[in-house]
Amino acid sequence: MEEALLRISEVSKHFGGVYAVNAVDMEVKEGGIWGLVGPNGSGKTTLFNTILGLYKPDHGTVYFNGKCISNLAPHDIYAEGLVNAFQLPRLFYQMTVLDNMLVAARGHQGDRLVNSLFLRKGWQEQEKGLIDEAIEILEFVELGKWAFSPAGELSGGQRKLLEVARGLMAKPRLLLLDEPAAGINPALGKTIFQKLKDFSGNGTTFFIVEHRLEILFEFAKWVYVMYRGRVVTQGEPHDVADAPAFYQAYLGGG
Amino acid sequence: MLLYGLDFLVFVGIFGIVALSLNLEFGFAGIANFGKVAFFLIGAYTYALLSKIGIPFPLCLIAGALTSALFGLLISLPALRLRTDYLAIAILAFGEILRLIVKSESWIAGGDWGTSVAPAISIAGASHHVGVLVNIGLVYFCLLICFVIAQLLANSPYGRVVRAIREDEIAAEALGKDRAKYKAQILMIGSAMVGVAGGLYVQYLHYVLPDMFVPMITFTVWIMVLLGGPGNNWGALLGAGLVELFKYGTNLAKPILPLDPINLQYILFGVLIILVLFYRPQGLLKESPIKTKALELVRYGKGVVNNKAGK
Ligand SMILES: Nc1ncnc2c1ncn2[C@@H]1O[C@H](COP(=O)(O)OP(=O)(O)OP(=O)(O)O)[C@@H](O)[C@H]1O
Ligand SMILES: [Mg+2]
Repeated sequence: MEEALLRISEVSKHFGGVYAVNAVDMEVKEGGIWGLVGPNGSGKTTLFNTILGLYKPDHGTVYFNGKCISNLAPHDIYAEGLVNAFQLPRLFYQMTVLDNMLVAARGHQGDRLVNSLFLRKGWQEQEKGLIDEAIEILEFVELGKWAFSPAGELSGGQRKLLEVARGLMAKPRLLLLDEPAAGINPALGKTIFQKLKDFSGNGTTFFIVEHRLEILFEFAKWVYVMYRGRVVTQGEPHDVADAPAFYQAYLGGG
Repeated sequence: MLLYGLDFLVFVGIFGIVALSLNLEFGFAGIANFGKVAFFLIGAYTYALLSKIGIPFPLCLIAGALTSALFGLLISLPALRLRTDYLAIAILAFGEILRLIVKSESWIAGGDWGTSVAPAISIAGASHHVGVLVNIGLVYFCLLICFVIAQLLANSPYGRVVRAIREDEIAAEALGKDRAKYKAQILMIGSAMVGVAGGLYVQYLHYVLPDMFVPMITFTVWIMVLLGGPGNNWGALLGAGLVELFKYGTNLAKPILPLDPINLQYILFGVLIILVLFYRPQGLLKESPIKTKALELVRYGKGVVNNKAGK
């Protein structure tokens, strides 16, 4: 059996008496766009934070690429190739848009103390390449002309886009996106998904939480539906759309 | 009067180093080090004790830097676990404990009475003026080194990561940055710098005693950084200059002042810090942007990747 890229096994996370995530099993295989939907408060963000190591699961295990990552620090999880774009953007607001992107870059030699003091030539060339990549990604989310503005000057929708762009800059094997199209005009939202699909051809798999079901269902190859902390159904988008559990989740939960 | 001016320059230089190091910690990395004076003390006493047994002064300074850096590393260990405000109180207490130790344990360096420290460079038969000039040379040489280091750090991808940790340590962590490691490194570098300053300070004054290291020193340096502009190395120097100027000014005006200049300074410092925080929270100079060759190239012509990128 082919080992899934991400395997979540029996994961639970509760806050006090609230079971935000309750015995969840999931698999995300390499390639394409994978979806996670569910009404507000169903535990999607909590699940993502648990995968990322920001929360320790109360129960269960997360495997990435066959390796248990439940006990790794978030920065080690990034090193494994698992990155996330937050639902509420967490940008470095006093830094420029471009600097936000460069922080995310993988394997920048200049990030190391000794190199910043003594071996500056070594990474200057590398940084040029990284800037080219960053600008290219910024262009694609229509933030190119903001490259040298502080991130704090961006509008709500643009912050969201930068959050996504920063995730792409990290060149992850798996990128978790928590509502990438929220607060962005619908046309751009759709374009973004189209681009993400193109990106997924270059070795990045996407696992996306999205409330705009019509966009997500058009691009996703597999969708999980959560309700009150549990996975209630899963399948290909058109099957999920017909599943009774899916309707119950949305009508029952609201 | 001339001597007074030269003396002023020495103090600006020494506190310039301390302000640069706090700016590195607080301005760039967001570490609220309220125990700055502890590391100043460590540098000072290391210098005093080693120079007493005849170690040449450059080694005394370096040893002061290393010892202080080691303590910086030690203090960073709980720092990773404690919230910023708790950490601030913990370091503050650490400084006071150190001061009380050197105060009560007279075998270390004369306890409360302190001990004398030989000047780093003494030229036989030279006047006092020459001695101060030599000190200016020594202090500003050290300041220059610290400034260059601070600038290199600020304008590098390393400095970018450190600033990112200041802005949002969870986000930085999720983007692969080991915040514990970076904070430990910054505390070590900052402590090393202030350790050197401590050595310079006591060899200039020719003595060391515990009450030179009261918490007020820490707050004075905080005012320098907040006033000059956190996240700007020039700002730290400007702040050091202005605060020292203010201290010297009030001391000079002593005969015409209604109260003791020291008390007046304390009061005015309090007012000053409130005014700065209210009306100019970013300080006199605003945070300096990150400059690397590659960024400059993209921003200002030559090799423009995309002309839309310039603003
Ligand atoms: N830090 C927290 N402390 C306490 N309760 C929390 C915390 N985070 C989430 N919860 C609760 O856990 C449940 C799941 O929240 P979560 O944010 O994961 O849902 P979600 O599916 O992402 O919702 P949305 O679609 O609104 O983003 C909710 O009942 C929420 O109130
Ligand atoms: Mg959510």
